[in-house]
Amino acid sequence: MIRPLAGMARIGLRFQLAYRSDVIMTVLALIAQVFLLRMVWTAVYGGSGQARGLTLDALLAYLSLANLQAFATTPVIPRIAHFRIRTGMVFFDLSRPTGYLSQMAAFQVGHTFGGLLMLAPAVPVVLLVGTITPTAQPLGYVATLSLGYVISVMMSLLICVIGFWTLETGAISLLYRLVSHFFAGTMVPLSFFPGALGVLAEALPFKYMGYVPAAVYVGHLSGGQVGRAVAVEVAWIAALAALLWAVWRRAHRRVVINGG
Amino acid sequence: MIRVESLTKVFRRPHAFSGPFGALRTLVTRRYDERVAVDGVSFEIPEGEIVGYLGPNGAGKSTTVKMLTGILTPTSGRIEVDGRVPWRDREANARAVGVVFGQRSQLWWDLPLIDSLRLVGDLYDVPAARFTGSLRRMCDLLGLDDFLDTPVRQLSLGQRMRGDLAAAMLYDPPILYLDEPTVGLDVLAKQAVREFIVDTNRAGRTTVVLTTHDLADVEALCRRIILIDKGRVLYDGGIDDLVTAYAPPRRLVVELADGETRTFEIAGGTSVPELIAQVAAEHAIRDLSIEEPDLESVIKQIYAESMR
Repeated sequence: MIRPLAGMARIGLRFQLAYRSDVIMTVLALIAQVFLLRMVWTAVYGGSGQARGLTLDALLAYLSLANLQAFATTPVIPRIAHFRIRTGMVFFDLSRPTGYLSQMAAFQVGHTFGGLLMLAPAVPVVLLVGTITPTAQPLGYVATLSLGYVISVMMSLLICVIGFWTLETGAISLLYRLVSHFFAGTMVPLSFFPGALGVLAEALPFKYMGYVPAAVYVGHLSGGQVGRAVAVEVAWIAALAALLWAVWRRAHRRVVINGG
Repeated sequence: MIRVESLTKVFRRPHAFSGPFGALRTLVTRRYDERVAVDGVSFEIPEGEIVGYLGPNGAGKSTTVKMLTGILTPTSGRIEVDGRVPWRDREANARAVGVVFGQRSQLWWDLPLIDSLRLVGDLYDVPAARFTGSLRRMCDLLGLDDFLDTPVRQLSLGQRMRGDLAAAMLYDPPILYLDEPTVGLDVLAKQAVREFIVDTNRAGRTTVVLTTHDLADVEALCRRIILIDKGRVLYDGGIDDLVTAYAPPRRLVVELADGETRTFEIAGGTSVPELIAQVAAEHAIRDLSIEEPDLESVIKQIYAESMR
Protein backbone atom coordinates (compact mmCIF):
# COMPACT_ATOMS: atom_id res chain seq x y z
CA MET A 1 0.00 0.00 0.00
CA ILE A 2 2.85 2.38 0.84
CA ARG A 3 4.99 1.66 -2.20
CA PRO A 4 2.50 2.73 -4.88
CA LEU A 5 1.92 5.99 -3.01
CA ALA A 6 5.65 6.59 -2.53
CA GLY A 7 6.03 6.00 -6.27
CA MET A 8 3.35 8.56 -7.09
CA ALA A 9 4.87 11.05 -4.63
CA ARG A 10 8.23 10.64 -6.35
CA ILE A 11 6.58 11.41 -9.70
CA GLY A 12 5.01 14.53 -8.15
CA LEU A 13 8.39 15.62 -6.82
CA ARG A 14 10.11 15.00 -10.16
CA PHE A 15 7.33 16.82 -11.94
CA GLN A 16 7.90 19.85 -9.73
CA LEU A 17 11.66 19.74 -10.29
CA ALA A 18 11.18 19.34 -14.06
CA TYR A 19 9.72 22.83 -14.16
CA ARG A 20 12.59 24.77 -12.65
CA SER A 21 11.83 27.95 -14.57
CA ASP A 22 8.33 27.88 -13.09
CA VAL A 23 9.80 27.65 -9.65
CA ILE A 24 12.18 30.56 -10.23
CA MET A 25 9.19 32.69 -11.24
CA THR A 26 7.29 31.51 -8.18
CA VAL A 27 10.21 32.41 -5.91
CA LEU A 28 10.40 35.87 -7.49
CA ALA A 29 6.63 36.36 -7.22
CA LEU A 30 6.70 35.31 -3.57
CA ILE A 31 9.52 37.69 -2.69
CA ALA A 32 7.88 40.53 -4.66
CA GLN A 33 4.54 39.94 -2.95
CA VAL A 34 6.08 39.95 0.50
CA PHE A 35 8.00 43.18 -0.27
CA LEU A 36 4.91 44.90 -1.67
CA LEU A 37 2.76 43.88 1.28
CA ARG A 38 5.44 45.19 3.62
CA MET A 39 5.46 48.57 1.85
CA VAL A 40 1.68 48.88 1.80
CA TRP A 41 1.11 47.83 5.38
CA THR A 42 3.96 49.95 6.74
CA ALA A 43 2.30 52.95 5.09
CA VAL A 44 -1.15 51.96 6.41
CA TYR A 45 0.10 51.65 9.97
CA GLY A 46 1.90 55.01 9.74
CA GLY A 47 3.01 55.81 13.25
CA SER A 48 0.33 53.85 15.10
CA GLY A 49 1.69 50.96 17.11
CA GLN A 50 -1.19 48.51 16.94
CA ALA A 51 -4.32 47.65 14.97
CA ARG A 52 -6.81 44.95 15.97
CA GLY A 53 -4.34 43.51 18.43
CA LEU A 54 -1.51 43.21 15.90
CA THR A 55 1.70 45.22 16.01
CA LEU A 56 3.24 46.10 12.65
CA ASP A 57 6.06 43.63 13.27
CA ALA A 58 3.64 40.82 14.09
CA LEU A 59 1.54 41.73 11.05
CA LEU A 60 4.54 41.65 8.70
CA ALA A 61 5.75 38.36 10.17
CA TYR A 62 2.23 37.01 9.79
CA LEU A 63 1.85 38.11 6.15
CA SER A 64 5.26 36.78 5.13
CA LEU A 65 4.59 33.44 6.72
CA ALA A 66 1.04 33.14 5.35
CA ASN A 67 2.33 33.81 1.82
CA LEU A 68 5.21 31.40 2.18
CA GLN A 69 2.72 28.70 3.25
CA ALA A 70 0.23 29.51 0.52
CA PHE A 71 2.88 29.48 -2.20
CA ALA A 72 4.45 26.26 -1.01
CA THR A 73 1.15 24.40 -0.80
CA THR A 74 -0.51 25.67 -3.99
CA PRO A 75 -2.30 22.63 -5.39
CA VAL A 76 -1.17 21.21 -8.71
CA ILE A 77 -3.43 18.15 -9.01
CA PRO A 78 -6.50 19.93 -10.42
CA ARG A 79 -4.34 20.92 -13.39
CA ILE A 80 -2.88 17.43 -13.73
CA ALA A 81 -6.25 15.70 -13.38
CA HIS A 82 -7.85 18.12 -15.84
CA PHE A 83 -5.20 17.38 -18.46
CA ARG A 84 -5.43 13.64 -17.95
CA ILE A 85 -9.23 13.58 -18.09
CA ARG A 86 -9.33 15.61 -21.29
CA THR A 87 -6.71 13.54 -23.06
CA GLY A 88 -8.17 10.26 -21.87
CA MET A 89 -4.94 9.42 -20.01
CA VAL A 90 -7.08 9.12 -16.89
CA PHE A 91 -7.93 5.67 -18.26
CA PHE A 92 -4.52 4.49 -17.06
CA ASP A 93 -4.96 6.08 -13.61
CA LEU A 94 -8.28 4.29 -13.25
CA SER A 95 -6.87 0.98 -14.40
CA ARG A 96 -4.21 0.84 -11.66
CA PRO A 97 -4.52 -1.46 -8.67
CA THR A 98 -4.24 1.65 -6.45
CA GLY A 99 -7.20 4.01 -6.04
CA TYR A 100 -7.40 7.18 -8.11
CA LEU A 101 -7.77 9.62 -5.22
CA SER A 102 -4.83 8.20 -3.27
CA GLN A 103 -2.68 8.39 -6.41
CA MET A 104 -3.56 12.05 -6.85
CA ALA A 105 -3.07 12.87 -3.16
CA ALA A 106 0.35 11.20 -3.17
CA PHE A 107 1.31 13.14 -6.30
CA GLN A 108 0.33 16.39 -4.56
CA VAL A 109 2.37 15.57 -1.46
CA GLY A 110 5.44 14.83 -3.57
CA HIS A 111 4.88 18.01 -5.53
CA THR A 112 4.60 20.08 -2.36
CA PHE A 113 7.80 18.54 -1.04
CA GLY A 114 9.54 19.49 -4.29
CA GLY A 115 8.10 22.99 -3.94
CA LEU A 116 9.56 23.31 -0.46
CA LEU A 117 12.98 22.28 -1.77
CA MET A 118 12.79 24.83 -4.55
CA LEU A 119 11.43 27.58 -2.30
CA ALA A 120 14.18 27.02 0.24
CA PRO A 121 16.40 29.78 -1.21
CA ALA A 122 13.56 32.28 -0.74
CA VAL A 123 12.98 31.38 2.90
CA PRO A 124 15.83 33.48 4.40
CA VAL A 125 14.68 36.51 2.36
CA VAL A 126 11.09 36.09 3.47
CA LEU A 127 12.10 35.60 7.08
CA LEU A 128 14.23 38.73 6.89
CA VAL A 129 11.60 40.89 5.18
CA GLY A 130 8.99 39.69 7.62
CA THR A 131 11.39 40.06 10.58
CA ILE A 132 10.26 36.63 11.67
CA THR A 133 11.58 35.37 14.97
CA PRO A 134 11.21 31.85 16.43
CA THR A 135 7.69 31.11 17.61
CA ALA A 136 6.59 30.55 21.17
CA GLN A 137 4.10 27.87 20.03
CA PRO A 138 6.01 25.50 17.70
CA LEU A 139 3.71 22.57 18.45
CA GLY A 140 0.53 24.51 17.79
CA TYR A 141 2.02 25.91 14.59
CA VAL A 142 3.04 22.50 13.21
CA ALA A 143 -0.32 20.97 14.21
CA THR A 144 -2.51 23.68 12.66
CA LEU A 145 -0.33 23.86 9.54
CA SER A 146 -0.25 20.08 8.95
CA LEU A 147 -4.01 19.74 9.38
CA GLY A 148 -4.49 22.81 7.18
CA TYR A 149 -2.42 21.11 4.50
CA VAL A 150 -4.59 17.99 4.69
CA ILE A 151 -7.66 20.21 4.23
CA SER A 152 -6.01 21.89 1.23
CA VAL A 153 -5.22 18.55 -0.44
CA MET A 154 -8.77 17.32 0.13
CA MET A 155 -10.24 20.47 -1.42
CA SER A 156 -7.96 19.98 -4.44
CA LEU A 157 -9.12 16.39 -4.76
CA LEU A 158 -12.68 17.64 -4.74
CA ILE A 159 -11.87 19.89 -7.71
CA CYS A 160 -10.19 16.95 -9.49
CA VAL A 161 -13.35 14.90 -9.09
CA ILE A 162 -15.59 17.73 -10.30
CA GLY A 163 -13.54 17.56 -13.51
CA PHE A 164 -15.20 14.23 -14.29
CA TRP A 165 -18.45 16.14 -14.85
CA THR A 166 -17.32 19.42 -16.30
CA LEU A 167 -14.30 18.10 -18.26
CA GLU A 168 -13.03 21.62 -17.76
CA THR A 169 -11.47 22.68 -14.49
CA GLY A 170 -9.19 25.46 -15.76
CA ALA A 171 -11.59 28.25 -14.74
CA ILE A 172 -12.60 26.51 -11.54
CA SER A 173 -8.94 26.06 -10.58
CA LEU A 174 -8.20 29.72 -11.20
CA LEU A 175 -11.24 30.80 -9.20
CA TYR A 176 -10.29 28.40 -6.43
CA ARG A 177 -6.79 29.80 -6.31
CA LEU A 178 -8.01 33.38 -6.06
CA VAL A 179 -10.70 32.64 -3.50
CA SER A 180 -8.54 30.32 -1.41
CA HIS A 181 -5.61 32.76 -1.29
CA PHE A 182 -7.87 35.68 -0.43
CA PHE A 183 -9.82 33.85 2.27
CA ALA A 184 -6.61 32.29 3.56
CA GLY A 185 -5.69 35.85 4.47
CA THR A 186 -2.54 36.18 2.40
CA MET A 187 -3.18 39.87 1.62
CA VAL A 188 -5.06 40.99 4.71
CA PRO A 189 -5.29 39.10 8.00
CA LEU A 190 -8.74 37.72 8.68
CA SER A 191 -9.13 39.81 11.83
CA PHE A 192 -9.20 42.91 9.55
CA PHE A 193 -12.09 41.62 7.39
CA PRO A 194 -15.23 43.74 7.94
CA GLY A 195 -18.68 42.44 8.98
CA ALA A 196 -20.19 39.78 6.78
CA LEU A 197 -16.93 39.19 4.94
CA GLY A 198 -15.27 38.44 8.26
CA VAL A 199 -18.03 36.01 9.21
CA LEU A 200 -17.73 34.30 5.84
CA ALA A 201 -13.94 34.06 6.08
CA GLU A 202 -14.23 32.62 9.55
CA ALA A 203 -16.71 30.02 8.37
CA LEU A 204 -14.76 28.87 5.30
CA PRO A 205 -11.95 26.31 5.60
CA PHE A 206 -9.44 28.35 3.57
CA LYS A 207 -8.14 30.14 6.66
CA TYR A 208 -6.48 26.94 7.83
CA MET A 209 -4.10 27.08 4.87
CA GLY A 210 -2.80 30.54 5.72
CA TYR A 211 -4.21 32.69 8.47
CA VAL A 212 -4.63 30.22 11.31
CA PRO A 213 -1.15 28.63 11.37
CA ALA A 214 0.54 31.98 10.71
CA ALA A 215 -1.49 33.66 13.45
CA VAL A 216 -0.53 30.85 15.83
CA TYR A 217 3.12 31.34 14.86
CA VAL A 218 3.15 35.06 15.67
CA GLY A 219 1.11 34.53 18.83
CA HIS A 220 -2.04 36.30 17.58
CA LEU A 221 -3.91 33.09 18.35
CA SER A 222 -2.84 31.31 21.51
CA GLY A 223 -3.78 28.90 24.27
CA GLY A 224 -7.34 27.64 24.04
CA GLN A 225 -7.79 29.26 20.63
CA VAL A 226 -5.15 26.92 19.19
CA GLY A 227 -6.82 23.85 20.65
CA ARG A 228 -10.18 24.98 19.28
CA ALA A 229 -8.66 25.59 15.83
CA VAL A 230 -7.17 22.08 15.81
CA ALA A 231 -10.53 20.57 16.78
CA VAL A 232 -12.36 22.45 14.02
CA GLU A 233 -9.70 21.40 11.51
CA VAL A 234 -10.21 17.76 12.44
CA ALA A 235 -13.96 18.22 12.02
CA TRP A 236 -13.41 19.79 8.59
CA ILE A 237 -11.23 16.86 7.57
CA ALA A 238 -13.92 14.40 8.62
CA ALA A 239 -16.62 16.35 6.77
CA LEU A 240 -14.50 16.72 3.63
CA ALA A 241 -13.63 13.03 3.71
CA ALA A 242 -17.32 12.13 3.77
CA LEU A 243 -18.11 14.61 1.00
CA LEU A 244 -15.18 13.45 -1.11
CA TRP A 245 -16.19 9.84 -0.70
CA ALA A 246 -19.77 10.57 -1.74
CA VAL A 247 -18.81 12.73 -4.72
CA TRP A 248 -16.14 10.29 -5.87
CA ARG A 249 -18.59 7.40 -5.73
CA ARG A 250 -20.93 9.30 -8.02
CA ALA A 251 -18.11 10.35 -10.34
CA HIS A 252 -16.78 6.82 -10.54
CA ARG A 253 -20.23 5.46 -11.21
CA ARG A 254 -20.56 7.96 -14.01
CA VAL A 255 -17.23 6.87 -15.47
CA VAL A 256 -17.97 3.15 -15.36
CA ILE A 257 -21.38 3.69 -16.88
CA ASN A 258 -20.73 6.41 -19.39
CA GLY A 259 -17.02 6.16 -19.99
CA GLY A 260 -16.38 9.75 -18.83
CA MET B 1 -8.61 -17.21 -20.45
CA ILE B 2 -11.18 -14.65 -21.62
CA ARG B 3 -14.88 -15.46 -21.86
CA VAL B 4 -17.41 -12.95 -23.12
CA GLU B 5 -21.10 -13.79 -23.29
CA SER B 6 -23.86 -11.65 -24.83
CA LEU B 7 -21.93 -8.54 -23.85
CA THR B 8 -23.92 -5.35 -24.35
CA LYS B 9 -23.09 -1.74 -23.57
CA VAL B 10 -25.57 1.06 -24.04
CA PHE B 11 -24.41 4.63 -23.49
CA ARG B 12 -27.07 7.02 -22.27
CA ARG B 13 -26.32 10.70 -22.62
CA PRO B 14 -28.42 13.84 -22.20
CA HIS B 15 -29.81 14.93 -25.55
CA ALA B 16 -27.62 17.67 -27.05
CA PHE B 17 -29.76 20.62 -28.15
CA SER B 18 -28.51 23.06 -30.74
CA GLY B 19 -29.44 26.69 -31.28
CA PRO B 20 -29.63 29.51 -28.73
CA PHE B 21 -29.43 28.30 -25.11
CA GLY B 22 -28.74 24.82 -26.52
CA ALA B 23 -26.02 24.14 -23.95
CA LEU B 24 -28.35 25.20 -21.13
CA ARG B 25 -31.17 23.00 -22.39
CA THR B 26 -28.74 20.09 -22.66
CA LEU B 27 -27.80 20.66 -19.04
CA VAL B 28 -31.37 20.48 -17.70
CA THR B 29 -33.02 18.15 -20.17
CA ARG B 30 -34.67 14.88 -19.24
CA ARG B 31 -34.40 13.67 -22.78
CA TYR B 32 -31.66 11.11 -23.28
CA ASP B 33 -30.03 9.69 -26.36
CA GLU B 34 -29.09 6.05 -26.24
CA ARG B 35 -26.34 4.58 -28.30
CA VAL B 36 -25.66 0.87 -28.42
CA ALA B 37 -21.88 0.56 -28.57
CA VAL B 38 -21.62 -3.19 -28.04
CA ASP B 39 -24.58 -5.38 -28.90
CA GLY B 40 -24.60 -8.99 -27.74
CA VAL B 41 -20.96 -9.85 -28.37
CA SER B 42 -19.79 -13.35 -27.41
CA PHE B 43 -16.38 -14.96 -27.83
CA GLU B 44 -13.82 -17.05 -26.02
CA ILE B 45 -10.07 -16.66 -26.15
CA PRO B 46 -7.88 -19.48 -24.84
CA GLU B 47 -4.61 -18.85 -23.03
CA GLY B 48 -1.66 -17.96 -25.20
CA GLU B 49 -3.63 -16.97 -28.30
CA ILE B 50 -3.17 -13.75 -30.28
CA VAL B 51 -6.53 -12.60 -31.56
CA GLY B 52 -7.19 -9.71 -33.90
CA TYR B 53 -10.25 -7.74 -32.79
CA LEU B 54 -11.17 -5.79 -35.86
CA GLY B 55 -13.82 -3.37 -36.95
CA PRO B 56 -14.28 0.06 -38.52
CA ASN B 57 -14.08 3.24 -36.43
CA GLY B 58 -16.88 3.33 -33.87
CA ALA B 59 -17.56 -0.41 -34.16
CA GLY B 60 -17.27 -0.90 -30.38
CA LYS B 61 -13.71 -2.22 -30.17
CA SER B 62 -12.36 0.15 -27.53
CA THR B 63 -15.57 -0.10 -25.51
CA THR B 64 -15.09 -3.87 -25.36
CA VAL B 65 -11.46 -3.43 -24.28
CA LYS B 66 -12.54 -0.98 -21.57
CA MET B 67 -15.04 -3.51 -20.24
CA LEU B 68 -12.38 -6.21 -20.30
CA THR B 69 -10.13 -3.99 -18.16
CA GLY B 70 -12.95 -3.30 -15.69
CA ILE B 71 -13.02 0.46 -16.33
CA LEU B 72 -16.52 0.20 -17.80
CA THR B 73 -19.35 -1.98 -16.56
CA PRO B 74 -21.50 -3.69 -19.18
CA THR B 75 -25.19 -2.91 -19.49
CA SER B 76 -25.80 -6.64 -19.70
CA GLY B 77 -23.94 -9.85 -20.45
CA ARG B 78 -20.99 -11.52 -18.79
CA ILE B 79 -17.23 -11.26 -18.87
CA GLU B 80 -14.70 -13.52 -17.23
CA VAL B 81 -11.01 -12.73 -17.49
CA ASP B 82 -8.69 -15.32 -15.99
CA GLY B 83 -11.59 -16.50 -13.81
CA ARG B 84 -12.50 -13.01 -12.58
CA VAL B 85 -15.26 -10.55 -13.34
CA PRO B 86 -13.16 -7.49 -14.23
CA TRP B 87 -15.23 -4.67 -12.71
CA ARG B 88 -16.06 -6.60 -9.52
CA ASP B 89 -12.51 -7.68 -8.86
CA ARG B 90 -10.93 -4.62 -10.40
CA GLU B 91 -7.69 -4.64 -8.41
CA ALA B 92 -6.78 -8.27 -9.12
CA ASN B 93 -7.82 -7.82 -12.73
CA ALA B 94 -5.62 -4.72 -13.00
CA ARG B 95 -2.59 -6.78 -12.02
CA ALA B 96 -3.42 -9.43 -14.61
CA VAL B 97 -3.70 -7.19 -17.65
CA GLY B 98 -1.42 -4.83 -19.53
CA VAL B 99 -2.92 -2.21 -21.82
CA VAL B 100 -1.41 -0.20 -24.66
CA PHE B 101 -3.33 2.46 -26.52
CA GLY B 102 -1.60 3.67 -29.66
CA GLN B 103 -3.40 7.00 -29.45
CA ARG B 104 -2.62 7.79 -25.83
CA SER B 105 0.28 7.13 -23.55
CA GLN B 106 0.61 6.11 -19.94
CA LEU B 107 4.08 7.70 -19.79
CA TRP B 108 4.62 10.97 -17.93
CA TRP B 109 5.20 13.48 -20.68
CA ASP B 110 7.62 15.80 -18.86
CA LEU B 111 9.73 13.17 -17.15
CA PRO B 112 12.45 10.81 -18.39
CA LEU B 113 11.09 7.46 -19.58
CA ILE B 114 12.75 5.60 -16.72
CA ASP B 115 10.64 7.53 -14.15
CA SER B 116 7.40 6.25 -15.69
CA LEU B 117 8.75 2.69 -15.82
CA ARG B 118 9.83 2.84 -12.16
CA LEU B 119 6.40 4.17 -11.27
CA VAL B 120 4.81 1.13 -12.91
CA GLY B 121 7.08 -1.08 -10.78
CA ASP B 122 5.88 0.76 -7.67
CA LEU B 123 2.18 0.85 -8.58
CA TYR B 124 2.11 -2.89 -9.24
CA ASP B 125 4.46 -3.61 -6.35
CA VAL B 126 6.93 -5.58 -8.46
CA PRO B 127 9.72 -6.91 -6.17
CA ALA B 128 13.00 -5.07 -6.82
CA ALA B 129 14.93 -8.07 -8.21
CA ARG B 130 12.11 -9.04 -10.54
CA PHE B 131 11.73 -5.44 -11.67
CA THR B 132 15.43 -5.18 -12.54
CA GLY B 133 15.23 -8.42 -14.54
CA SER B 134 12.03 -7.33 -16.29
CA LEU B 135 13.45 -3.92 -17.14
CA ARG B 136 16.63 -5.50 -18.52
CA ARG B 137 14.58 -7.81 -20.73
CA MET B 138 12.41 -4.92 -22.00
CA CYS B 139 15.49 -2.82 -22.73
CA ASP B 140 17.03 -5.67 -24.74
CA LEU B 141 13.83 -6.57 -26.60
CA LEU B 142 12.78 -3.02 -27.36
CA GLY B 143 16.15 -1.25 -27.44
CA LEU B 144 15.23 1.26 -24.77
CA ASP B 145 18.74 1.90 -23.44
CA ASP B 146 19.41 4.86 -25.72
CA PHE B 147 16.49 6.90 -24.47
CA LEU B 148 15.73 5.73 -20.94
CA ASP B 149 16.84 9.09 -19.56
CA THR B 150 15.16 11.21 -22.22
CA PRO B 151 11.97 13.09 -21.30
CA VAL B 152 9.05 11.37 -22.99
CA ARG B 153 8.00 14.56 -24.81
CA GLN B 154 11.30 14.41 -26.75
CA LEU B 155 10.83 10.80 -27.90
CA SER B 156 9.81 9.90 -31.43
CA LEU B 157 6.45 8.17 -31.79
CA GLY B 158 8.18 4.83 -32.32
CA GLN B 159 10.32 5.26 -29.21
CA ARG B 160 7.30 6.34 -27.17
CA MET B 161 5.35 3.30 -28.31
CA ARG B 162 8.21 1.02 -27.29
CA GLY B 163 8.21 2.73 -23.90
CA ASP B 164 4.46 2.16 -23.60
CA LEU B 165 4.85 -1.52 -24.47
CA ALA B 166 7.51 -1.87 -21.78
CA ALA B 167 5.28 -0.10 -19.23
CA ALA B 168 2.40 -2.45 -20.04
CA MET B 169 4.51 -5.61 -19.67
CA LEU B 170 6.88 -4.74 -16.79
CA TYR B 171 4.74 -6.56 -14.23
CA ASP B 172 4.36 -9.64 -16.47
CA PRO B 173 0.58 -9.62 -16.88
CA PRO B 174 -0.71 -12.83 -18.48
CA ILE B 175 -3.05 -10.79 -20.71
CA LEU B 176 -2.20 -7.90 -22.99
CA TYR B 177 -4.71 -5.61 -24.69
CA LEU B 178 -3.26 -3.67 -27.60
CA ASP B 179 -5.40 -0.93 -29.11
CA GLU B 180 -3.86 0.19 -32.40
CA PRO B 181 -0.28 -0.23 -31.21
CA THR B 182 1.25 0.52 -34.61
CA VAL B 183 -0.81 3.57 -35.57
CA GLY B 184 1.38 6.21 -37.16
CA LEU B 185 4.60 4.20 -36.91
CA ASP B 186 7.12 3.81 -39.73
CA VAL B 187 7.86 0.41 -41.25
CA LEU B 188 10.82 -0.36 -38.98
CA ALA B 189 9.06 0.69 -35.79
CA LYS B 190 6.02 -1.40 -36.78
CA GLN B 191 8.33 -4.34 -37.29
CA ALA B 192 9.88 -3.85 -33.82
CA VAL B 193 6.44 -3.72 -32.20
CA ARG B 194 5.30 -6.86 -34.00
CA GLU B 195 8.43 -8.76 -33.04
CA PHE B 196 7.96 -7.73 -29.43
CA ILE B 197 4.38 -8.99 -29.45
CA VAL B 198 5.43 -12.34 -30.94
CA ASP B 199 8.28 -12.67 -28.42
CA THR B 200 6.16 -11.92 -25.35
CA ASN B 201 3.45 -14.22 -26.60
CA ARG B 202 5.91 -17.07 -27.10
CA ALA B 203 8.06 -16.57 -24.03
CA GLY B 204 5.36 -16.02 -21.45
CA ARG B 205 2.32 -17.57 -23.09
CA THR B 206 0.80 -14.10 -22.92
CA THR B 207 -2.72 -13.90 -24.30
CA VAL B 208 -2.99 -10.93 -26.67
CA VAL B 209 -6.07 -9.11 -27.90
CA LEU B 210 -5.02 -6.86 -30.74
CA THR B 211 -7.18 -4.06 -32.08
CA THR B 212 -5.89 -2.50 -35.25
CA HIS B 213 -6.74 -1.01 -38.61
CA ASP B 214 -3.45 -2.22 -40.04
CA LEU B 215 -4.20 -5.58 -41.62
CA ALA B 216 -0.50 -6.23 -42.09
CA ASP B 217 -0.34 -6.42 -38.25
CA VAL B 218 -3.11 -8.97 -38.31
CA GLU B 219 -1.52 -11.06 -41.04
CA ALA B 220 1.83 -11.00 -39.25
CA LEU B 221 0.49 -11.80 -35.77
CA CYS B 222 -2.90 -13.45 -35.68
CA ARG B 223 -4.28 -16.71 -36.89
CA ARG B 224 -7.73 -15.88 -35.64
CA ILE B 225 -9.77 -12.71 -35.96
CA ILE B 226 -13.01 -11.45 -34.50
CA LEU B 227 -14.63 -8.98 -36.81
CA ILE B 228 -17.22 -6.63 -35.38
CA ASP B 229 -19.30 -3.79 -36.75
CA LYS B 230 -22.01 -1.71 -35.10
CA GLY B 231 -21.37 -3.62 -31.89
CA ARG B 232 -22.04 -7.07 -33.38
CA VAL B 233 -19.75 -9.94 -34.26
CA LEU B 234 -19.66 -10.43 -38.03
CA TYR B 235 -17.04 -13.12 -38.12
CA ASP B 236 -15.05 -15.15 -35.62
CA GLY B 237 -12.54 -17.67 -36.89
CA GLY B 238 -9.30 -18.29 -38.78
CA ILE B 239 -7.98 -15.78 -41.29
CA ASP B 240 -7.51 -18.46 -43.94
CA ASP B 241 -11.10 -19.65 -43.57
CA LEU B 242 -12.29 -16.09 -43.80
CA VAL B 243 -10.50 -15.48 -47.07
CA THR B 244 -11.80 -18.75 -48.52
CA ALA B 245 -15.35 -18.25 -47.33
CA TYR B 246 -15.78 -14.63 -48.27
CA ALA B 247 -13.23 -14.33 -51.02
CA PRO B 248 -14.41 -12.05 -53.74
CA PRO B 249 -13.66 -13.46 -57.21
CA ARG B 250 -10.13 -13.11 -58.60
CA ARG B 251 -9.81 -10.41 -61.17
CA LEU B 252 -8.01 -10.17 -64.47
CA VAL B 253 -6.47 -6.72 -64.87
CA VAL B 254 -5.64 -5.82 -68.46
CA GLU B 255 -3.70 -2.82 -69.69
CA LEU B 256 -4.68 -2.03 -73.25
CA ALA B 257 -2.42 -0.70 -75.98
CA ASP B 258 -4.00 2.75 -75.73
CA GLY B 259 -3.09 2.92 -72.01
CA GLU B 260 -6.59 2.17 -70.70
CA THR B 261 -6.90 -0.34 -67.84
CA ARG B 262 -9.85 -2.76 -67.75
CA THR B 263 -10.67 -5.38 -65.12
CA PHE B 264 -12.64 -8.58 -65.62
CA GLU B 265 -14.03 -10.69 -62.83
CA ILE B 266 -13.00 -14.32 -63.03
CA ALA B 267 -16.23 -16.01 -62.05
CA GLY B 268 -16.09 -19.48 -60.49
CA GLY B 269 -15.54 -22.18 -63.10
CA THR B 270 -14.17 -19.82 -65.71
CA SER B 271 -11.02 -20.95 -67.47
CA VAL B 272 -8.47 -18.17 -67.19
CA PRO B 273 -6.68 -18.94 -70.51
CA GLU B 274 -10.03 -18.81 -72.28
CA LEU B 275 -10.89 -15.50 -70.71
CA ILE B 276 -7.51 -14.08 -71.72
CA ALA B 277 -7.91 -15.37 -75.25
CA GLN B 278 -11.37 -13.82 -75.41
CA VAL B 279 -10.11 -10.44 -74.21
CA ALA B 280 -7.07 -10.62 -76.53
CA ALA B 281 -9.36 -11.28 -79.48
CA GLU B 282 -11.26 -8.05 -78.84
CA HIS B 283 -8.45 -5.74 -77.68
CA ALA B 284 -4.80 -5.06 -78.25
CA ILE B 285 -3.17 -5.94 -74.90
CA ARG B 286 0.02 -4.38 -73.55
CA ASP B 287 0.14 -6.10 -70.17
CA LEU B 288 -2.01 -8.24 -67.91
CA SER B 289 -2.08 -9.50 -64.32
CA ILE B 290 -4.34 -11.51 -62.03
CA GLU B 291 -5.37 -10.01 -58.71
CA GLU B 292 -5.77 -12.49 -55.86
CA PRO B 293 -8.23 -11.54 -53.12
CA ASP B 294 -6.42 -10.28 -50.01
CA LEU B 295 -7.59 -9.85 -46.45
CA GLU B 296 -8.31 -6.18 -47.02
CA SER B 297 -10.67 -6.75 -49.92
CA VAL B 298 -12.37 -9.55 -48.00
CA ILE B 299 -12.93 -7.35 -44.99
CA LYS B 300 -14.09 -4.45 -47.14
CA GLN B 301 -16.67 -6.76 -48.66
CA ILE B 302 -17.90 -7.96 -45.27
CA TYR B 303 -18.30 -4.38 -44.01
CA ALA B 304 -20.11 -3.48 -47.21
CA GLU B 305 -22.50 -6.39 -46.75
CA SER B 306 -23.21 -5.45 -43.14
CA MET B 307 -24.11 -1.93 -44.28
CA ARG B 308 -26.95 -3.28 -46.35
